Amino acid sequence: MLSGNLLNGIILGAVYGLMTMGLSLIFGVLKVVNVGHGAFIMLGAYVAYWMFTLFGLAPILSVPIGLILGMALGFLFFYLVMKRLLDAPELSTLLATFAIGIFLEEIAKVVWGPDFRGYSWDVGTLHLPIATIPMAKIYALLSSIAIAIALYLWFKKTRAGTALRCLVEDKEGARVCGINVTGFYALSFALGLGFTVLSGVLLTLFIPVGISPYMGGIYTLKAFVIAVLGGLASPWGAFFGGFIFGLVENGSYSLLGLIPNVEPFSLTQFVAFMVLLVILLVKPEGLLGEK
Amino acid sequence: MKGKLFKTVFTVAVVLFVACALSMPAGARVPKKVIIGGTISLSGKFAKEGQQSVWGVKAVEKWVNTVHGGVKIKGQAIPVEYKYYDDESKKETVTSLCERLITSDRVKFILAPYSSGLTLAGAPVVDKHGVLYMSHGGASDRIFDQGYSYVVQTLSPASKYQTAPLDMIHQLDPSAKKIAFLFEDGEFSRAVARGAAAHAKKLGFQIVFNRTYPKAAKDLTPVLTELKAAHADVLIGGGHFADGQLLAKQLGDMSIDFKAVSILVAPTLPGFYKALGTMAESFMAPGQWGIGAKYSPQSAKSLGLPYFGPTQQVFMDYFLRESGGVNPDYHGAEAAAAFLAYVYAIEKANSLNPDDVRDTMNKLHFMTFFGEWQIDPETGKQTAHDMVVLQWQGKKLQIIWPRAAQTSKPFYPMLTTKQRASGKLAIPK
Amino acid sequence: MIFQKYSSFLLALIVFAVLFAIGMVSPSMWQPIALIMFYIAMGQAFNIFMGMTGYVNFGYVAFLAIGSYGMALGVSRFYQTGIGLWLLFVGFALAIVMAAILSLLVGGIALRLRGAYFAIATIGVNEGLKYLIEGGKFWGGSEGIIISKPMRATFGRHLANSLSTFWADVFLFIIALLAAYLTFRFMHSRVGYALTAVREDEDAAKVMGVNATKYKLIAFIVSSCVAGLIGATTWCLKSTYVFPEDVFEISYTVEAIVIVMLGGSGTLLGPIIGGLIYGICKYWLAVLLPGLQLLILAPLIILIIVAFPGGIVGVIRERIRGTVLDQVIV
Repeated sequence: MLSGNLLNGIILGAVYGLMTMGLSLIFGVLKVVNVGHGAFIMLGAYVAYWMFTLFGLAPILSVPIGLILGMALGFLFFYLVMKRLLDAPELSTLLATFAIGIFLEEIAKVVWGPDFRGYSWDVGTLHLPIATIPMAKIYALLSSIAIAIALYLWFKKTRAGTALRCLVEDKEGARVCGINVTGFYALSFALGLGFTVLSGVLLTLFIPVGISPYMGGIYTLKAFVIAVLGGLASPWGAFFGGFIFGLVENGSYSLLGLIPNVEPFSLTQFVAFMVLLVILLVKPEGLLGEK
Repeated sequence: MKGKLFKTVFTVAVVLFVACALSMPAGARVPKKVIIGGTISLSGKFAKEGQQSVWGVKAVEKWVNTVHGGVKIKGQAIPVEYKYYDDESKKETVTSLCERLITSDRVKFILAPYSSGLTLAGAPVVDKHGVLYMSHGGASDRIFDQGYSYVVQTLSPASKYQTAPLDMIHQLDPSAKKIAFLFEDGEFSRAVARGAAAHAKKLGFQIVFNRTYPKAAKDLTPVLTELKAAHADVLIGGGHFADGQLLAKQLGDMSIDFKAVSILVAPTLPGFYKALGTMAESFMAPGQWGIGAKYSPQSAKSLGLPYFGPTQQVFMDYFLRESGGVNPDYHGAEAAAAFLAYVYAIEKANSLNPDDVRDTMNKLHFMTFFGEWQIDPETGKQTAHDMVVLQWQGKKLQIIWPRAAQTSKPFYPMLTTKQRASGKLAIPK
Repeated sequence: MIFQKYSSFLLALIVFAVLFAIGMVSPSMWQPIALIMFYIAMGQAFNIFMGMTGYVNFGYVAFLAIGSYGMALGVSRFYQTGIGLWLLFVGFALAIVMAAILSLLVGGIALRLRGAYFAIATIGVNEGLKYLIEGGKFWGGSEGIIISKPMRATFGRHLANSLSTFWADVFLFIIALLAAYLTFRFMHSRVGYALTAVREDEDAAKVMGVNATKYKLIAFIVSSCVAGLIGATTWCLKSTYVFPEDVFEISYTVEAIVIVMLGGSGTLLGPIIGGLIYGICKYWLAVLLPGLQLLILAPLIILIIVAFPGGIVGVIRERIRGTVLDQVIV
């Protein structure tokens, strides 16, 4: 039973990790914490839902649509709002991203209604001795890993990626080298949001029901825990952090189930946040971050 | 200069509030209409249920005014108006808007907000002013243990929710003894679980699994793995929409089968079938009401009860007009029934005095399209309304229990995961 | 001189007095006024920490929640001892103590961190505490505590109603006054100067010998205790119940942030003005445009942040900079 839980935790963890990469990217480059994170995941979930329900498009193929939508919104919000706040105190950007998140949720509610949506993409089930896993989840796992690797390669190998890394190291130096700082900020913000929306699409492969305007909130919280785990400014740290989080979340259930007269499932959520506090206490830059 | 500043601020503050105060009607008026009102959630976490409730009440408001001819008191027929404000699913807003309804809008018959918590939040205000408070969305039995005398209830209390499925299974298959409980960890679900556990023990069931999951759980795999190992015959549980959907879906993902599954709320919505497709077949849910329930003037007559309000078909017509084509679920029906109960009680009391109406309510036992209505005189709790059991059969939601209300026979035992995945429909022979 | 120093505090008093007066004179206004005072008080308590330090406590609502648990536990566990109205004292005392303990625990860890890390650490407090209560099944677990019956048993029906519908709000006024006073004292004391230095440039302040952590912790604990008192009165005493699923909602933290930003963080009058406007807008939007409040407020917030980062008080300050009034509005 424990091994089944852990396997499930790894798969879920991959999606969690991908989901958090966008958050870490935005913080790493712009030093902005996107508190409206969950709203963008919600958008991705709706993209997958509508593409499947209206056009029969397999959710996997909605992934690039999610990415493009997220990037478009990213550029829009950056030039409209974030750019003006680059020199403002941290609080302002926290609030701005939060307000954007709320705005998106409310629009979603007005346009799509507060109903819970879901869809059924049946591509078979994998029967393993330790667990029974729908193939859709396997696809989610593989896609998450593939996309994470793609992002990693983009950063390391392409000119744009390298420029971005320079920007993070030394803003003034980058400017002197002729890098268009504002442009790259916009690109990072757009990429970050793009990845977040994309992860919302993949999330529905894992959980294809319960899609509603306010579904994102719980993911914002999880994403923060994972981001801190992996090092707030490090996207691949976030990805591995996701795995750890998934393992801890599922694994602790089996452990807590041994304690009498408690509700183990609720306590696993408590454990997750205890982990957060412990990490912050011991190694605030995250398990994989550098000081 | 300092004085000027103080003066300005002071004036601004006064102006703002004079504006608010002016919204209060000057002096007391003789009511040319009856206002029944309440706060309801049009945003926030109960937005969906709140919207259904508003549509339901508006539907019967129209019926009362057009078909019934208004509220008949002392030989006169007075129109009735439904006044409502959005409480955003928040308790502070409930108390402030509730008092506004009572003091500013002079409402003496309040419809409680949706959910047990918010219903509790408005109770002190209502009690202080001595106006009536009808719960149509607050099922928790605890509300009625607090000693309030102006709070009455139209829907069945939480403890009754899962007793009907248990009765049904006990009668259909006495050999199914092992029950698993898997409820959401929330106030309402726990109240249901408590009532169900007591009833299960009484009927001789054996509870082999009893766990909860947190409200916002997004993946139930850990607890479902444990559930599979318990090898129970029947699963009783659930909570609200999203988690119910998730539970049903993941039961299928993990190929966990039972002879019967009854989960709260989620399967009563069309969205459940839309999301799960044929995997939803043969899932059951208890409901306060379902489309097709056989409560009608005829059935009332056969029980020797008076019938009040529109027939179900008429209610559906009015509702569909209000909702723009969305079917009513039990949230809409229970709100409508609450409104109808008020109108009926006012007419029977022949008075608009809350105390008179409250006393009259103690003596009433009648039926609407929603079911029977009778309250416990001391606590105001609903005693006569029965829950029905609903089941998805052949893409339609049927009422399968009690026998007097059923639109179709129960499909038991339910289809296995494999059968549902192959597209088999749960149509009883 | 002294008058100038106290003038902002006096202004706050006048606003409270006017609100109280309106509520007493016109009974239909009492509840709306109580709602506005809730927002004002909530903003003030939040401002004691955020305004002074510039740090965002995303777990703020957990302190409102634990305060309401304090009151709920006080009433439900002790009502049979026959101490009558002292029961409320017990409730409030418990609220303060529990809030203080929680803030010490959280602050002890989180305040060693800077900026965004701190914010993230505090996000966990809210959810963590909720799941601990639900999972550990203490304090009623997910079923919470209802105090209507104990209140009615101890105080009788009329007094119980009156406590919930009137006196709870009077207590709120007193707490708001307390919050205003504390803000004022902090701003004009060593704590305030230290925190201003920290807010402007924490590293420089540390170099100069300011014990940043100690002062941040003081502000944090005070802010949390006041929040606990607010929760005890407006959430528990007034609505007579505490359900975990209800009291740990992050939206209240958001509202507190909005109120403080709207009015101007770090100022005495900021949260008061912010709370006034926010409360009025919310109330009227609920009456006139049900369902659309957040849709309207969200872009409004963005507008304020982009165009008026100092909030309304900031705008006023700009206008009167250099004049005598500059010293009045702090």
